[in-house]
Amino acid sequence: MVYFILKRLIQSVFVMLAVALIAFSLFRFVGDPVSQMTGVETSVEDRERLREDLGLNDPFALQFYRFSSDMLRGDFGFSYRTRQPVSEMIATRLPATLELGIVSLIISLLVGIPAGVFTALRPRGFATQAILLTTLVGVSIPTFVIGIVLIFLFGVQLGWLPTFGRGGTTDLGGWTTSFLTVDGWRSLILPALTLGVYQLTLTMRLVRAEMLEVMRSDYIRFATARGIPYRKLHFKHALSNTMIPVITIIGLQFGGVIAFSIVTESVFQWPGMGLLFLESIRFVDIPVMGVYLVVIAFFFVLVNLLVDMLYILIDPRLRVKEAS
Amino acid sequence: MTRATRLRSTTLAALMSLTATAGMAETFRYATTTDPQSMDPHAVSSAPVLSFLNNIYEGLVRRGRDMSIEPSLATSWEPLKGENGWRFNLREGVTYHDGAEFTAQDVLFSYERASSEESDVRSWFAPVSEVRVVDDYTVDFVTTSPNPLFPDSIANFMILDSGWAEGNDAARPARDAENFASRNTNGTGPFTLASRDPGVETRLTPFDEWWDDDMGNVTEAILTPIGNAATGLAALISGDIDFIEPVPVQDIAQVSGRDGLTVVQGEETRIIMFGFGHEHDALLYSDETTDVNPFQDARVRLAVAHAIDVATIDRVVMRGLIEPASQLVPAGISGYSEANADRPAYDPDRARALLAEAGYPDGFSFGLKCTNDRYINDEALCRAAASMLAAVGMDAQLTTIPVRNYWEQLRADDYDMYLLGWSPGTFDMEHPVRFLLHTQDDEAKLGSWNFGNYSNARVDELLPQIQQELDPATRQGMMDEVVEITQDEVAYVPLYTQPLIWAMKDTIDVTQRADNFFMLRWVTVN
Repeated sequence: MVYFILKRLIQSVFVMLAVALIAFSLFRFVGDPVSQMTGVETSVEDRERLREDLGLNDPFALQFYRFSSDMLRGDFGFSYRTRQPVSEMIATRLPATLELGIVSLIISLLVGIPAGVFTALRPRGFATQAILLTTLVGVSIPTFVIGIVLIFLFGVQLGWLPTFGRGGTTDLGGWTTSFLTVDGWRSLILPALTLGVYQLTLTMRLVRAEMLEVMRSDYIRFATARGIPYRKLHFKHALSNTMIPVITIIGLQFGGVIAFSIVTESVFQWPGMGLLFLESIRFVDIPVMGVYLVVIAFFFVLVNLLVDMLYILIDPRLRVKEAS
Repeated sequence: MTRATRLRSTTLAALMSLTATAGMAETFRYATTTDPQSMDPHAVSSAPVLSFLNNIYEGLVRRGRDMSIEPSLATSWEPLKGENGWRFNLREGVTYHDGAEFTAQDVLFSYERASSEESDVRSWFAPVSEVRVVDDYTVDFVTTSPNPLFPDSIANFMILDSGWAEGNDAARPARDAENFASRNTNGTGPFTLASRDPGVETRLTPFDEWWDDDMGNVTEAILTPIGNAATGLAALISGDIDFIEPVPVQDIAQVSGRDGLTVVQGEETRIIMFGFGHEHDALLYSDETTDVNPFQDARVRLAVAHAIDVATIDRVVMRGLIEPASQLVPAGISGYSEANADRPAYDPDRARALLAEAGYPDGFSFGLKCTNDRYINDEALCRAAASMLAAVGMDAQLTTIPVRNYWEQLRADDYDMYLLGWSPGTFDMEHPVRFLLHTQDDEAKLGSWNFGNYSNARVDELLPQIQQELDPATRQGMMDEVVEITQDEVAYVPLYTQPLIWAMKDTIDVTQRADNFFMLRWVTVN
């Protein structure tokens, strides 16, 4: 097990290097950081000096070597925009994104799994059709439209929830959390819903499809014949056997949720990594963009690793294989 | 909890909320699209930074509500006798937010800091050869030649306490890595920085010891950057914030139609114009005209001016908010040429005739480059202009790109005709003459935004004279001459001044200044 984790972590270094290389080769098309960093009246000479100081005139290979070797040493550089250390910028924005992602994941699981089971058990019911239709609509509408509709409904018209930002946060030694104040939770609801809608639908449809499959299988029929109570039959015997594909997909999706919370964060001015990335693109803040993409790559690797480990926990057959 | 303790804690809570409401009566929440990226007044010369820091730091002079120069940390100034330059007499008894006293030494220190290699505002001090401390409250700025505009040009030159900056290892602006002054402040201005979470929230509180009394009633100001226009609007309508700027032109009706909200609009000093590749020998993006550059012919450039209907652009694209422009500064800016206030009328027939006269009776195709995220409705403006040009036979192939790629391409001469917006930083006509009309000269730091390298020997000759002329009438005469030459030659086609659109709760009084700086001391919450 330890060997397995170690192997994955070493692989992750290569994944991150590859991502850094691809990202870096694209940065030259993003724009000119020097124009963004200097004022209108700055002379051409000063601008060129800055370009030279930042090493932007160096060949691509040298710039990439410098970036990746600094990074391997743990030196993430400084932002072109704010001149803050990039590591600190990412670290202060990370909690916001992770909390948003986790809450939206929990919402999608808490609603998606029961809804999936329900719609599988009553495939022809009116409620089933209604649920399937509404979630389909939810998935078809782009995220930013969902966000803006939610803001105008609950923030502007009804005035129940704040329209932007994180609201009240508590600083727990470097980790600012929304979880400890009412305001924080109120601010979290709309963005988490917006981000979670897609996940929710996906989870529900996946659980439903798997359940329909499992319910037809022989062991469920025999279990029914044995007189096992329905609740136990559905949720213990049937549902747990649907979990392997569900966890795979949800896990992979969670990496995506963290990575692509950009739109949601922008609509809600949610001060997470996605918003930081967006601001950095606008400013051609190459160090921040580079580090962000590498961190996201690391997340994907990490989530995949966790998914693999969850398999072993859930499926006894894999445990046996691992032991042998 | 026993009954007694519960009672006590309720009373305590009630008392606390009482004092809290008394103390936080006038909290003002405002939002802009861009967060000031640094708290260091010399590190970044960008409008969001300078605008914000003008609430905390002060210069020797400052701009009033009508943009006029007025005394600030200097009470008076006069030209030096026997040499070129200015003497500033400093205000006595001014203290910094940390209690330190403001003296001439700080002015010298701030000059050295702001003109250092690490500074982004050093171009302001290009004419300065020496700064001398005469006594604790007198400073001389010696310039290489007579410089009547110097006091006007340093309105945003903010003074730091030398002891504070040196004591915190911030004697130079942070160029590569941040330093103490990037996130902390110690000015003499009306507000102090209470807290700062970059990109998320910045809080300001009034400085009780401030020397002046031109102050509204804000007791706490909270700045939140909101990048997304729809989110900002929702936050304003829901009452989560009190003020946003800018408001997209198309959203004005959303705000002004609602009870309790109001829109304040005015004209910015920014002129939107089209520029040309005067130096290009051939068009880059033409299908058929690949050996010559028709825009080298002033008649073709004049045809462009006659072909574009600014009134229609105003009605369709800008909802009636713009003011047509005849020259590179709007009326009211010093040096504006009243004698040349007429702009070429919309006259497509004349445009066609001019093209025929220049040898292009069937017109030609060319590439028009525009931004799509820099000026108000810039992309829509360029689409409208392109179709107007096409109507007279000039087939513009429009490319719109984000501003982060834009300047790089213009500097690489990758255009036939381009869009440019220009705001005169010194609020004087000399500014666009220096940056847009003088021949490119990197060494002398002239013409650095004259992408097409428009060049006229007489204009180049007049610029230094304008910079040094002390007599206002003579100076204006030279300005008139420059404007006349560049209008005759159609160096640029100025279109209009861009509007400023702010939205807020109607209980709030603000002063909208033409440079779009937002002064918290002029905010009153009723």
